[in-house]
Amino acid sequence: MAEEEPGKLEALRQEVRAWLKESLPEGWGSPGYVAPERGSKEAHELGKAWQKKLYDAGYTGFGIPTEYGGVERPREEVAVIREELQRTGTPPPAGSLGPMIVIPTLLRYGNEEQKKRFIPKILNAEESWCECFSEPDAGSDLANIQKTGVRDGDEWIVNGQSVWTSGSKYADWGVVPVKTDLNAPRHRNLSYFVFDCTSPGFEVRPLKQMTGDAEFSETFFDNVRIPHANMIGEEGQGWYVAMATLEAERGGGIQFVAPSRRLEPTTLGGVDIYVELAKNTKRRGRIVWDDPLFRQRIAQFAIENEAMKHSRERMRVKAMKRQLTGNEQSIGSIFSREKNQRQANMVAEIMGANIQFMRGDPRALDDGSWTYTFLRTRGNTIETGTTEILRGIIAERMLGLPRSRG
Amino acid sequence: MAIEYGLNEEQEMLKTMARDFLANECPTTRVRQLMEDDTGFDADLWKKMAEVGWLGLVLPEEYGGSGMNFRDLTILCEEMGRTVLPGPFISTLLLVGVPLLAYGTEEQKSEILPKIASGEAVCTLAALEEDGDWWADSINLRADYRGGHYVINGTKLFVPDAKVADYMLIAARTKRTANPEEGITLFLLDTREVFGTMSTVLKTMDETRKLYEVVFLNVPIPAQNILGEVHQGWPIMKQIALHTAAALCAEMVGAGEKVLEMTVDYLKERIAFGVPIGSFQALQHRAADLVIGLEYSRSLMEWAAEAIKENHPDTATAVAMAKSFCGDTCKKVVAEGIQMHGGIGFTWDHDMHLYFKRVWADDNAFGDSNYQREVVAKALDEIHQLSGGGRWMKTSGRLTPMG
Repeated sequence: MAEEEPGKLEALRQEVRAWLKESLPEGWGSPGYVAPERGSKEAHELGKAWQKKLYDAGYTGFGIPTEYGGVERPREEVAVIREELQRTGTPPPAGSLGPMIVIPTLLRYGNEEQKKRFIPKILNAEESWCECFSEPDAGSDLANIQKTGVRDGDEWIVNGQSVWTSGSKYADWGVVPVKTDLNAPRHRNLSYFVFDCTSPGFEVRPLKQMTGDAEFSETFFDNVRIPHANMIGEEGQGWYVAMATLEAERGGGIQFVAPSRRLEPTTLGGVDIYVELAKNTKRRGRIVWDDPLFRQRIAQFAIENEAMKHSRERMRVKAMKRQLTGNEQSIGSIFSREKNQRQANMVAEIMGANIQFMRGDPRALDDGSWTYTFLRTRGNTIETGTTEILRGIIAERMLGLPRSRG
Repeated sequence: MAIEYGLNEEQEMLKTMARDFLANECPTTRVRQLMEDDTGFDADLWKKMAEVGWLGLVLPEEYGGSGMNFRDLTILCEEMGRTVLPGPFISTLLLVGVPLLAYGTEEQKSEILPKIASGEAVCTLAALEEDGDWWADSINLRADYRGGHYVINGTKLFVPDAKVADYMLIAARTKRTANPEEGITLFLLDTREVFGTMSTVLKTMDETRKLYEVVFLNVPIPAQNILGEVHQGWPIMKQIALHTAAALCAEMVGAGEKVLEMTVDYLKERIAFGVPIGSFQALQHRAADLVIGLEYSRSLMEWAAEAIKENHPDTATAVAMAKSFCGDTCKKVVAEGIQMHGGIGFTWDHDMHLYFKRVWADDNAFGDSNYQREVVAKALDEIHQLSGGGRWMKTSGRLTPMG
């Protein structure tokens, strides 16, 4: 690969900075700025508008073929753009499920028509997506999906229920694996559909989680009609399509998502925010940063963030050499999710009694976002496959250990 | 050039060749024989290592070396870690060869480097003293100036491979000021020519790497045998520590990966309660944790080696991060290796303890994981001060904990 001349990259960096100055929402990042409430329609619209702006500017959509609306740029330029977005901190993109999981699934299993119909509108944020995977009795045991689909001419009539549906509140479209063959064995009885969320019979009920927010929903399918043309992959292949979605969700799809603040390390180690917190917090009269126990823990996170960065690069090189099986994503998935939790625990221990304050209390630091993160990260090690399931994948598929279940 | 991840074709070849060579020349049965010896030195093996070009791997061709880079060197170190190879490879090449190339006079280099590459000269560094810690304050070995030459008196401890060393680099105190990093001088001693040193092997845990007490009694060293400048030895020692720490990371990762492989094999073979124990989730998940730890150890180790190779401005932090993480992780891997092997892993005859002891020794050498983490914390502090700090709090809510 030809080396980019440094001047060109520097010019791009200045261009992105200038663009950010002009394009970020009014007052963003300034002391008086109050972000719309998490999970509100307003927050969703803000995120959508931001994703569209990014896409129109050519700052997202990398790695996707241009015929589906993707944006082609040399890797060095993409790195500069990402660095600048992260450095500044941007609104979280709304409907990140579309770019993160739906696009990779469509690219792998969708037909030409489906790819052309759906991918561009995901990239420009015109359509948001939800994921109807888990059921009350099919969480870690996803193959136990009980939703049924019965063929009726050019359509399938779908009945059943999902739980922990992500992104459903404002979604325009959804993905759902459905049992279409009652007699076939596990893993061969499912088909995978995309469906219009305005379809009659589809109902969304918010599900309040331990943070107090309703980020997820329960969703109900009561004779929902889905056109046969909306099946992704072959009939009976749904398990494998669903696995592609999960693989993307566990790590592979991240590359398509425009980064926002705190998702990725920014400066060396990416822990400046914790250093800042520790230096500005006193416990019993002593500055937390001066306590070697906390300082060591913060340094450890810097080390781990740096390790993750270089591991991603290693994986990228391996992927180019076609040395990856997909199971490797479990490594990063487990490590990063558990790290999130450990970081949040540390913050809670630094803040002491102040971690109690949630959004709404005037004493809450950063509008309660630390407390929110502390609670929200409990879900990190469960969603998209518990870390136990992922450890099983490493043990059985990477190390070749004998199956632990019959 | 740039930071490269993974191995290129030549490096793959080097790795395969090294693995085959060491499997043939020094399997652990041979390691155990060398453990019985006071020097742990196999002259035939050393000669063969010279013949395949390892001893001059990173030395330029003009000194008889192969002119390869630091990342190539760590590939060898990984493979040596896999076989817990005894002998003075790291002592000779990293503790003396590499710093000599960087800081030596032309005379010093042309005298010693070709002998290193050809296998004629074994070298080592006498740095640590009785507290065993790598820090400037502990260096008290006296070197007194006596018109044209220095006279060294005192004792060094934890000196690797002292008995077989033809050249010994000695860190001595030539001046004591308030700043302990000032006044350390490095001397090159030709042990075959000068009398007055006595090396006694220490009874130590890791018998695959022999350590010695070295007593110096009125040892005269000419002033032209100083490496670098008088009183200015510590910056050179920091550089030695940086390179050697990165090499030890490679050795630990090699050892850790080998232990994981042995453990996974055992989990598949060992039957208990009528099934292979590898089908127990409790063990599967622990094995998976080792995979995770080793992936990130390798990532940081490769980054540190590449940083050295490329003379990257973040090299010092990269090495500290790698040493801290590889140390923590590989200590865990070798402990888990023993646990998952059960009783057999606790026996002398099983090789697990060789890896356990080597990894703990490697972790400690040149700053253990806790020390290295503190190095990272200091770097974070500097960066924070440089960036001005305060950015996050200014954009935040109403509570400012500082009041």
